Amino acid sequence: MRPVNHTAPKRSVAPVFWLLFGAGGMLSALFGPALIILTGFMIPHGWGLPGNFGDYSHALAFARHPIGKLVVLAVIALFFWHGAERLFLTLKDMRAGRPLLLRLLTYGVAALLTLVTASLLLAIGL
Amino acid sequence: MSERRPFHRPQPRRWWAHKPYRAYTIRELSGVAVAVYGAILLAGLVCLWRGPDAYALYRRILASDGAFAVHAVLLAAVLWHVVTWFEILPKTMPKLILRGQPLPQRLVSAVALLAALACSAALLVVVVAMGAMS
Repeated sequence: MRPVNHTAPKRSVAPVFWLLFGAGGMLSALFGPALIILTGFMIPHGWGLPGNFGDYSHALAFARHPIGKLVVLAVIALFFWHGAERLFLTLKDMRAGRPLLLRLLTYGVAALLTLVTASLLLAIGL
Repeated sequence: MSERRPFHRPQPRRWWAHKPYRAYTIRELSGVAVAVYGAILLAGLVCLWRGPDAYALYRRILASDGAFAVHAVLLAAVLWHVVTWFEILPKTMPKLILRGQPLPQRLVSAVALLAALACSAALLVVVVAMGAMS
C-alpha cells in the first residue's frame, strides 16, 4: 500500500482562474483596442465601413457562423474572467468584504455571464 | 490572550488611493474596463437574440453621444491595460538570454507592445478591407 502523504499541500483551484485571467488579458491586449474602435466608433458611425456593416442581418450571420460564435464567446467570456480576477484581488486587498462574498461577486458573475453568453449563442442557432 | 503585541504600521483606510499604491489600483481597474466592454458586447448579443427591433435600439444607443464618450473612456483604459500588461510580461516569463546576456526587460516590453499594436492595426485593416469588398 502506498503511504499517505499528509504533508502534501491541498490542491488549489487558483491556477484555473489565473489561466482564464491570463487568456483574457492577452486577448484584450492584442485585439482590445481594435475591437473598441470597431464596435464603439467605426460601426455605429459608419467610419470607413459600409453603413449596413453592423446591421441586423450581418450581425445575425456572424453570430450564426460557428467561427463567429467561437469569437463572440471567447471575447465576452475571457474579458469577463479577466476583469473578475482583477476586481477580486483589488477588493480583497481593500478588505471590501469577506473573501467568499467577493468571490461570488466576481468569479460568480463571470461564470454566470459565461453561461448566459453560451446559451444565447446556442439559442441564436446556426 | 497572547502577550505578543506586534507592531502594526498605521495605514490609512484608503491606502489604495495614495502613492505608491495608486498606480497599482489604476492598473488593476483598467483590467476591469475590459470586462465592462465585454458587458456592452453581451448587451448587443442579448438584443440580437431578441430580434430586429431590440437590435435597432441597441444600434441607436451605440450611435449616441453618451455611448461615444463611454467608448472613449474604455479605449483609454484598455490602452493603459495594454501598456501595463506588457510591462509585467518580462517579469512573469522566463528570462530570454541572447549571446549570454539577458534581454533587458524594457526591450521585451517595447517589442511586445509594438507586436500587440500591430495585431490591433491588422484586425482593423482586415475588417475595413472586408467592408470594402462586401
